[in-house]
Formats: sequence, structure tokens, C-alpha cells
Amino acid sequence: MAALFLDFRIALLSVFEHRRRALFLGTAVACVTTMLVLLNGLSNGIRSTLVDTATTLSTGHLNVGGFYKVTSGQAGAVVTEYEKVREIALKALPEADFTVERGRGWGKVVSDQASMQAGISGVDIRREGSFKKVLRIASGNIDELGEPRTILIFQTQAKKLKVKVGDAITISAQTTRGTANTIDCRIVAIAEDVGLLSSWNVFISNESLRALYQLRSDVTGAIQIHVKPAYVNKLAPLAGRLRNALEQAGYRLMEPDARAFWMKFDSVTREDWTGQKLDVTTWEDELSFMMWTLNALNGLSFVLMIILIAIVVTGIMNTMWITIRERTREIGTLRAIGMQRGGVVRMFLWESFLLGSLGALGGGIAGAGIAGALNAAKIHVPFSVQLFLMTDTLHLAVAPAALFKAVLLIAVVTAAAALYPALRAARLKPVDAMSHFG
Amino acid sequence: MKAIVSIENATKDYRLGKVVVNALRGVSIDVARGEFLSIAGPSGSGKTTLLTLIGCVDTPTTGTVEVAGRDTAKLSERELTSLRLNTIGFIFQSFNLVGVLDVFRNVELPLLLQRSLSAGERSKRVLSLLERVGLMEHVRHRPNELSGGQRQRVAIARALVTRPELVLADEPTANLDSVTGQNILDLRKELNRSEHSTFIFSTHDARVMSHASQIVRLADGKLAEGISTGPTVSELHEVSSAKA
Ligand SMILES: Nc1ncnc2c1ncn2[C@@H]1O[C@H](COP(=O)(O)OP(=O)(O)OP(=O)(O)O)[C@@H](O)[C@H]1O
Ligand SMILES: [Mg+2]
Repeated sequence: MAALFLDFRIALLSVFEHRRRALFLGTAVACVTTMLVLLNGLSNGIRSTLVDTATTLSTGHLNVGGFYKVTSGQAGAVVTEYEKVREIALKALPEADFTVERGRGWGKVVSDQASMQAGISGVDIRREGSFKKVLRIASGNIDELGEPRTILIFQTQAKKLKVKVGDAITISAQTTRGTANTIDCRIVAIAEDVGLLSSWNVFISNESLRALYQLRSDVTGAIQIHVKPAYVNKLAPLAGRLRNALEQAGYRLMEPDARAFWMKFDSVTREDWTGQKLDVTTWEDELSFMMWTLNALNGLSFVLMIILIAIVVTGIMNTMWITIRERTREIGTLRAIGMQRGGVVRMFLWESFLLGSLGALGGGIAGAGIAGALNAAKIHVPFSVQLFLMTDTLHLAVAPAALFKAVLLIAVVTAAAALYPALRAARLKPVDAMSHFG
Repeated sequence: MKAIVSIENATKDYRLGKVVVNALRGVSIDVARGEFLSIAGPSGSGKTTLLTLIGCVDTPTTGTVEVAGRDTAKLSERELTSLRLNTIGFIFQSFNLVGVLDVFRNVELPLLLQRSLSAGERSKRVLSLLERVGLMEHVRHRPNELSGGQRQRVAIARALVTRPELVLADEPTANLDSVTGQNILDLRKELNRSEHSTFIFSTHDARVMSHASQIVRLADGKLAEGISTGPTVSELHEVSSAKA
């Protein structure tokens, strides 16, 4: 048994023998791991905040939307008889957690002082618990959004319109039949900004939305399906199944198109059909116009990760070269006594694995700690960053699995970096033990 | 009896940049099992070089070196290594101890590499040898805490710990006082008796030579004329009779 540990023991003792160098290199490895964990945490944090916020406010994980055309040139982004559609969807998807109905429109919001164009979303606040969780209310009471003719706007919008809670606002929009209509709403709540979404969207009750667009009560904008957490990253097959189920029930479906619903008006009004067509999309489709931010972020962290790993690899390889030069005589001696080449390779791999794994472990723990501290500090991010973060505070999501992966990655990379030097060391001739003095 | 070491016209060249050093220029020797060969010769005459060839640490430039019946030039690196581990014990001129290991671990090293003995057996073997070479007080010391003579004794213990068939020693008594030197020679005799081991020592020490069954003199990479046979050939007969 002990014989198996011979190369490990020599490696351990050698690391200890050169502890200053080991400490230096271990610290470098730890720093890189820390940065990797933080980078990963930032990227995941942004992603999860974005997904949480966006999927709650403007899209479900899966959406059944679509268009109803009275004439071929007049399209409304609505689903008629949505209760039936929802039943079919829920039957087809046992993975669904809950659904909400979201009215979706576009109109002009007018105050006494100013006006602006905005997306008008209809929400049934009594049925949407998570809605209240992702929004932080600056003033007013979000529960009043359940009452007729009420509206929730965001801080930047309130500033632009020069309004406060209790003020009246007029919304004007074009109905599906092509006529103009207006409703008056009372501002019941002003929420803190959540990035891009809050700059283009206001929320009114579904009931008010129907009144604005003169819709029947069995009409809504989209059925937004939230799936159980385990399925959030496996939406494509679910979307396919949902499409089939709807088609089998006799609905006409639009071709899959990875764009937000409001980008589809142009093509839909150019097509030659009337009546209802349904459209099944994922949250990624609906947010495709801002996915570039996530992709850019992922790309950036990937590049940084490569650079960090390159630094670690270079550091380890250099150190191993120095070590091997210094220990030529010892390696030759071990070979001359009867250690096989494999033993020499293992010895050096152990050495760098020890350095790497201890460094990575320390770095991982430090990274998790720093991430926790940063989260606890609730650091405000600048407005330009908020725009795509969809939150006003920095949030790093360091999942234990991701942490473990980062530590393992660095530990393996460091050991692998020593492979080439170790193989070269193993090829040293035993006679070198004789000639190399020092 | 077949020779354990059989060298045929071996040469060894070292290349130092453009200069080629002919360290050995055609050496032929046969060493029978159980023999005690002493290699004498001035500094630079090629003693260490010859021992590295016999010890399978290096291979000849031309000629053949057979150890335990095997032509070293024809063995793979792996086979050479296992021959070094299992058949040969080498006491290096500059000791070559492993700096990070203590005395005990240095001596235990070949046994660990062999993976044949249990921890208990290893420990017993190592400690009894360390006792014989008078290092019991330094079992847990690192090589850099030892004197030259103490290091040499560790190297001796390490070479003998596997009870090898063939023991090679490069000036094994050079740093030892006469009492310890005598101990080493006694130890050699014992091992010769119990394991029928063969010994090849390079030495300047007249007392070592006086124990040898055969003495060869190297000069300038060649065997000098007139191979003299040592006074203790009778020793061989003693061994044979003891075995019978
Ligand atoms: N690795 C080497 N590279 C180049 N030349 C070498 C090497 N080893 C030995 N030599 C040369 O070969 C010759 C023989 O050296 P060797 O070490 O065998 O002599 P030696 O008899 O052991 O001497 P000493 O009694 O001083 O130990 C010397 O001229 C030496 O300089
Ligand atoms: Mg020498």
C-alpha cells in the first residue's frame, strides 16, 4: 500500500521543501480561481436576474400568443377563447407549473405635462404572486392594480411624465378593428426601474386592457406558461409538444419564428389570411432582441476564462521546468535506483495537482465568500448597466455545482499543465544523476 | 559457473560539445558469482564510467555488457530499470541521497519501489541495516543534517537493503573511519555468505583491496597489464564449502 504513495510522498515533501515557491504559485492559482468563480457568478447572476425578471414581467417560459386578423391587413396580437387554449396546453404539458394571461398592446400614455409611447401589458395581479416579488415598489400599493382603471409605471417613466401616485393618466390606442380608443387610469404604484423592460412597458389590469382594446372577456394577449424549475433549460421539446397538441386540436399555428411578438406585426399583416392563428414561443424568442447582451457577456467571460487559464498553465509549466532543472540529479538518482518513468511522471503530476487543487480550493472558497459579501452589500450598478441587467443592484449567483466545476477545472488544468514537463523529466537519463552536481 | 557480469571490449565516449572524451577504450572483464572484484586506478581513469555500465545506469558506446546473462544494450528502458531495482545495488561516489526524505525513507526507497515486502518487514530490514552501519541515532534526520561519512553509510544501507545479487560501490570507504570501514567489509562478507552476492568496488583503499578476490587496474580507460588476484581467493572456497 505504502509503495503506491511513494511518488505522492516525495511530491508532498518537495512541495513543502519549496514552500515559498509553492505558496506563491498556490496563491496565483487561488486568485485565478477566485476570479473565475466571480466571473461565472456575475454571468449567472445577470442571467438569472434577467430571466427571473423578464419571464415574470413580459414573457413566460413558454408563450401561446398569436394574431387575430379581422381583415388580412388588420392584426391584433390576441388569443381568442383563451381558456380552451390553456386547457389544451396544460393537458399537453404536465411540466407546467402555472400560467398567467398577459394582455399585450402598444399605445400612447398621456399625463397633464407630457406623453410617451409604451407597451401596454395587461396583468391579473391577484393571480400573479411572483409579479410582486420581482418588482420593488417605490411608492403606492401594487395590490390596487386589481381594481379597474389602474396603472403601474416605473420611476423613470414617472419622472418623464411628471406624475406621482394618485395622478390620472390617459392611454390611447388603436383597437383591433382599427378605431382609436382611450381610457383614463389612476396611478396606483410606481416601481423601481428594472432595466430595458421598465423603459418601454407599463402595466394595467387585464380588465382595463380589454376595455382599451374593446376586447371580449374570453380574449387575452398571450397565455404565458411557467414550467417547473427542472425544465427551464429544456424548453425546445416542450414547445414542440405544445405545437403538436394545439394543431391536433384544430388550431392554425404560425411557423416557429424566434422573434418577439411585436416584431412580427409587419409580416403578419402582409400575409393573406384572416381569423385566429396561434404562435408558440419561448422566453428566449421573446427576448431575442436583447439576448445579445447575454451572449456578449458569455463571450466575454469565456475569453477571460481562457486568458486566466493560460496564465495558470504558463505559471505551472514554468515552475515545473525550474523544478525539474533543479532536481535533475534527484530524478536521475531515483531512476538509477529503479523508479520507472511512470513514477517520475506521477511524482510531478502529484506535485502540480497538490498545488493546483489546494490553490483552487482556497480560491473557490474565497470566491464564494467574496460573492456572498458583494451580494450582501447590495451594490448599486450604474443606470447604463441596469438597462440590460434588469436590476439596479449587483447580484452574483454562485451555485455549488458551478463552484465545484471551477475548482475541478483549475485543479485538472494545473495537473495537465505539468504533464509535458513531467514527461520530459521522465526521459532524463539515470546517468544524469552522476554528472549533474549541485 | 556462468559469470554474472561479462564485458566484451566495451568502450564509452562522452561528447562534450565538439570534444569527445574516450572514458573507456575497450575493456573486457568477466566476474563470476560470489566474487569480490576491486577496481583500482587513478582519478579520471574511468572507474565510475565502468561501474555505470555494469550498473545498467548507462550503456556502452561499442562492445557488450552482460549483467545476469542479459545484454544491457538490448534491454528496454523498463527492463533496464527493473534490472537496476531488483538485481543491482549501487553505492554512488557522491551518495545521491534523496534530499526531501529522511534516512529511514532513503533506505526504504528501493523496497518501496519493489513493492514486495509489508511495512513491518520493510521497517525491520531497514532498521537492522541502519544499526549495522551505526546510524540508529539518525534515523529521522535528513541527508543535509549528516556528515559525509554518515551520508555514505546511508547510501551503503540503501544499496544493500534489497539484498541484491550484485553490489556496485564507487569508493565506498573513502569517507569512513577505519572502524566503520571494517564494519562495511564485515557486512559485505556476511551478505556474500548468505546471499552469495557479487561485489564490485572501485577503491584506492588498500584494505578493501586486500579483501578482494580479484583486482583490476584501470589506466586511461583501459585495463592495465597484469591482473592481480587478491589474497582472499580462499574466501570463495570458504563460501562454497559453507554452502555444501
Ligand atoms: N558525463 C560525462 N561527460 C563528459 N565526460 C565525462 C563524464 N563522466 C566522466 N567523464 C570523463 O571520463 C573520464 C573518466 O571519468 P570517470 O568518472 O569514470 O573517472 P574515475 O576513474 O571515476 O575518476 P575518480 O577517481 O576521480 O572518480 C574522465 O576524463 C572524465 O572527465
Ligand atoms: Mg569516479
